Amino acid sequence: MIPAFLKRPSANRTLAGVLVAIVVLMSALNPQRFPAIGNLISMSYQLPIIAFLSLGMMVAMVSGGINLAIIATANFTGIVMALVLRAVAGDAAEEAGAGVALLAMGGGLAAALAVGAVMGWLIAYVEVPAILTTLAMMTLLNGVNLVITKGYTLSGFPEFLLGVGNGMLGPVPIPFLILVAVVAGMAVFLRRTRTGLSLYLLGSNPIAAGYSNLHVRAVLVRTYALSSTFAALTAFIMVGQLNSVKANYAESYLLVSVLACFLGGVDPFGGTGTLTGMVLAMVILQVVSTGVNLLRMDPFFIQALWGLIILVLIAAGFLGERLREARRLRTARLAQQAAPASTVGTGP
Amino acid sequence: MEEFLRLEKIHKSFVGVHALKGVDFTLRKGEIHCLVGENGCGKSTLIKIISGVLQPDSGRIFVEGQPVASLGSAATMARGIQVIYQDLSLFPNLTVAENIAIAEVKERGAGVVDWDEVRRIAQEAMARIHVDLDLDAEVGELPIGVQQLVAICRALTSDLKLLILDEPTASLPKRDIENLLSVVRDLQAHGIAVLFVSHKLNEIFAVAERITVFRDGERVATLPPNELDDDRLVALMTGRTLARKVFAFADAGARKVLQVRGLSKRNHFADVSLELRAGEIVGLTGLIGSGRTELALALFGISPAESGEIRVEGKPVQIRSVKDAVAAGIAYVPENRLVQGLVMKHSVEANVTATVLDRLLGRLGLVDPARKQALAREWIKALGVNVSDPAVPVQTLSGGNQQKVVIAKWLAASPRILILDGPTVGVDVMAKAAIHEYVRGLAARGMAVLLITDEEAEAVANTNRILVMRAGRIRGEMVAATAEAEQVQQLVEAPS
Amino acid sequence: MRAAEAVGGMLRGLLRHNETWLAILIVVLSAAITIANPAFLTYENVAGFLKSCSMVGIMAVGVLIVLILSGSPDVSFTAIAQVVEYAVAVATLQWGGNIYLALAAAAAMGVLMGLVNGAIVHWFRVPTIIVTIATFNIYFGMLYVITHGKLINLVHPMFHDFGNTLLFSRVSSIGASYGLSLMTLVWLGTVLLGWFILRKTFLGRSVFAIGGNEVAAERLGIAMLRTRLFAFGLVGLLSGVAAVVHLSIVQAVVPNIIVGKELEVIAAVVLGGASVFGGKGTALGAALGVLLFAILNNGLTLLNVSSYWYNVTIGVVITVAITNSAYQALRHRRARVHVKVEP
Repeated sequence: MIPAFLKRPSANRTLAGVLVAIVVLMSALNPQRFPAIGNLISMSYQLPIIAFLSLGMMVAMVSGGINLAIIATANFTGIVMALVLRAVAGDAAEEAGAGVALLAMGGGLAAALAVGAVMGWLIAYVEVPAILTTLAMMTLLNGVNLVITKGYTLSGFPEFLLGVGNGMLGPVPIPFLILVAVVAGMAVFLRRTRTGLSLYLLGSNPIAAGYSNLHVRAVLVRTYALSSTFAALTAFIMVGQLNSVKANYAESYLLVSVLACFLGGVDPFGGTGTLTGMVLAMVILQVVSTGVNLLRMDPFFIQALWGLIILVLIAAGFLGERLREARRLRTARLAQQAAPASTVGTGP
Repeated sequence: MEEFLRLEKIHKSFVGVHALKGVDFTLRKGEIHCLVGENGCGKSTLIKIISGVLQPDSGRIFVEGQPVASLGSAATMARGIQVIYQDLSLFPNLTVAENIAIAEVKERGAGVVDWDEVRRIAQEAMARIHVDLDLDAEVGELPIGVQQLVAICRALTSDLKLLILDEPTASLPKRDIENLLSVVRDLQAHGIAVLFVSHKLNEIFAVAERITVFRDGERVATLPPNELDDDRLVALMTGRTLARKVFAFADAGARKVLQVRGLSKRNHFADVSLELRAGEIVGLTGLIGSGRTELALALFGISPAESGEIRVEGKPVQIRSVKDAVAAGIAYVPENRLVQGLVMKHSVEANVTATVLDRLLGRLGLVDPARKQALAREWIKALGVNVSDPAVPVQTLSGGNQQKVVIAKWLAASPRILILDGPTVGVDVMAKAAIHEYVRGLAARGMAVLLITDEEAEAVANTNRILVMRAGRIRGEMVAATAEAEQVQQLVEAPS
Repeated sequence: MRAAEAVGGMLRGLLRHNETWLAILIVVLSAAITIANPAFLTYENVAGFLKSCSMVGIMAVGVLIVLILSGSPDVSFTAIAQVVEYAVAVATLQWGGNIYLALAAAAAMGVLMGLVNGAIVHWFRVPTIIVTIATFNIYFGMLYVITHGKLINLVHPMFHDFGNTLLFSRVSSIGASYGLSLMTLVWLGTVLLGWFILRKTFLGRSVFAIGGNEVAAERLGIAMLRTRLFAFGLVGLLSGVAAVVHLSIVQAVVPNIIVGKELEVIAAVVLGGASVFGGKGTALGAALGVLLFAILNNGLTLLNVSSYWYNVTIGVVITVAITNSAYQALRHRRARVHVKVEP
């Protein structure tokens, strides 16, 4: 189970502390390059990809499931976009205008939504466990992607899409702006919409949610559709930044997105997770990734270091958790016993 | 009778709370002893000290006359003391035989499992209390009454001298309770003492040799059942007397809110017809497996009926989903509040408002947090839920308060028809009375209530009509005012 | 009449088991492939694919046990196998030795790496998948840091001998030997070992107990640390053995060839009936799952389908299997008799 420290609001404070500590550490290790504006901008270009994938994973996990197919869906979206471009603009795809580009994005989004809807249907109506459904879909999509691309990289995307991925609005990278808008939207979605609120309740106890008139099945289908929409958003940025799509881009990101959720306080059993926690977790992961890259270490050493960092975070979390848990239990019991007596029984 | 266990001047405090205040307690060999008290009275703490989970701050413990320095878990098991918790500590993925035998197999320490031995151990344990269960059944698929028997059998595989049962009948249907009580008597015949904690007064009276009442951390009285009755017991437990109220239905000419005709569902119920008028509380009783909950779930849309007609306020309605039911003004308070009624880890506010998110929308179709909070507070106050902050997780509340939250959440949906399924199960005496009073008040204000209950006494006191279901059909109707609990019971249990 | 009832009951009982469906699927699939290409059902071909799936099969038994224990899959076992394969290849080239030493060393290395996982999962109470993501990255990353991704093309002859040992061998028309590979027997032995552990040892039953109800297991006094270390140590050990088997089959080391198969192994184990919530699963089921994938792979090759379609086919098969499984469970739940309605 998740260490308790990651689930409470005070956990976000801890995460914020961790973030500050890591920024300081990275700046100390890289005094020239890390704290520079250029680096900040560079990080804000990269953050959206990991962020969208993590958010897509988050909604699935909050519902009590998981979306193992998210990367495959992103790649699929990109490939569909390439297909649409080829169908509409033929060899002149690269010169295509915004209208065609938007059409391609629309096609990609539609493909992602279809994938999400199918997964959501299997999970909600046939009651196939989410881990299996998304595993199967991941395998299927990876295969489809491979069959379509035959392993080749497709490239030559139009200016508009490159702008989405690489452009700037003033001093701020466009992908970052999109991220900010999306995070704001998510904040509203999770706390203020019926679907968002239902999501948390159903993730924690789907049976009670059903008994409470919460349209469990519809919410689940929407959840996986939303998760896949995030995959599509990721694809838009990736396509824009890399000007190419391939059958298995970003495979390693799957595990990183699960990690971001875990750090951000999302219980894999469902029902918890704050957006604040997620944002902090994603930024922490991005900072660590960039900082470590700047140190020009062997990329595989960096990979091993990632693993070690996860373990250290787990260890730190656990120790802190013990103290907090004990303190919390005492306060709760105190509050109950001290509550004024009434005509009904007091606490247990 | 010889003494088996003696506790002297036991004190136990948690931060700022003095849970046990100098308690003296004795248990005789082979006796059946019940522990009663309201939530928070200290009985759970006492049990934990006896079973070794907690250590007392001061005081002495004697087991079979020998002073015991500290009673840790392993030590208690070695002395023949076993606890069966409410969650039963069973392995749902293993068979009955394995669940029963696993403790003993572990004790014997063999690396390789002898499956014949496992069956033998299980069969011996079952034989001791005259039960015969399917050894190869997967425990997770068994009804809870049977699971409890498996847990008891497991306790029997060791040299059992004292069995502690923590609220064993809380979620058991009537027949299984009878079973359990006879098993408890059987244990006594083997010289095994049984200490059980219970809220259910009628069971306590049926089986206890001595009853100990706790209140506010002190042992208030230890008496044989013939020196106690319901009223005296409640007075000892709560320090108050409980006024006895009975429901009276005033308006015989009230409009019919619910009319059901010929409702059927294969393997659930058949040809059910009933009527509910505004202001009535109609009781629906019958054994588990008689179809009462199934009928309720059909009216609530969780498990829709296959044929028949339902009319609400005279208009025919189709109930194919919970949404349809709620739209028709039907609310259902489920029998299992932990799993069906509440999302335990979420706040009281979230739970209370879950059913009416559609009605809390403000600008842009978004839920208005101020209205949400206000609604929650309103209902918390109306039902007297004892909680200071609606944002605390509902799992921190007592059983009675939790039940009120479940009721509140459905009242918030402004139903016309309220179906209550076992609303006072596992709720202590005072909270039970409060809930009864509240429901009577609801009816007085025009709500049509269908009260599904196992307890005939509850039905007789709180309804004006009682419907009895058996084997999927409604077999009879009685007028509560002239019915006695025993009469109802007879009709419930009569062979078809 | 009664005999027919008894047989009917037995069949229904069998059908409730995942393994039965899987076996049926295997038979149907094999029949379909054979019709399309009769070369499938030949001794040479069958012995061939049974040999090539041995590595996955051996690892699957370990993965199964950890999945039963914790309900959360181990994803580091491929990294463990990769590291061990490399280490053993290099060590034997340096210092020689024999196949038994190699196996022992591989097992020992694997156990150690597995025990690390087990210890962390136990003490920090974190889901297995999270811990093993971390250790996967550590083991695999460090392997590359040390080896720089270098391939090893030449391995000690002991692996040739081990890998090419055959039973009931025949010689084909072009002079090549074929037969039941020792590797397949190692796999079979592992499956039997897995069955024995899970079914016949208290340690194995403890694995089920912890997987079914962790709190109850602890209350009962079941050795939590020991059982966990055992399960994780075992998957490490088996990954080590699988590494030697792989090395003997391929007779080269490509440092990223084993890694990437995690989800395939987990899918095979789950298809074989292991629950993704823990507490359930059989060695036979896992073996059948692996066999199914091996047959699919071989079938696609024989039917000259491009390897690009492999994933699609696997995906479709998994989807159909899990949908069927879930649908059956749904029907079973719906058809349950709630009330014995009497007239």
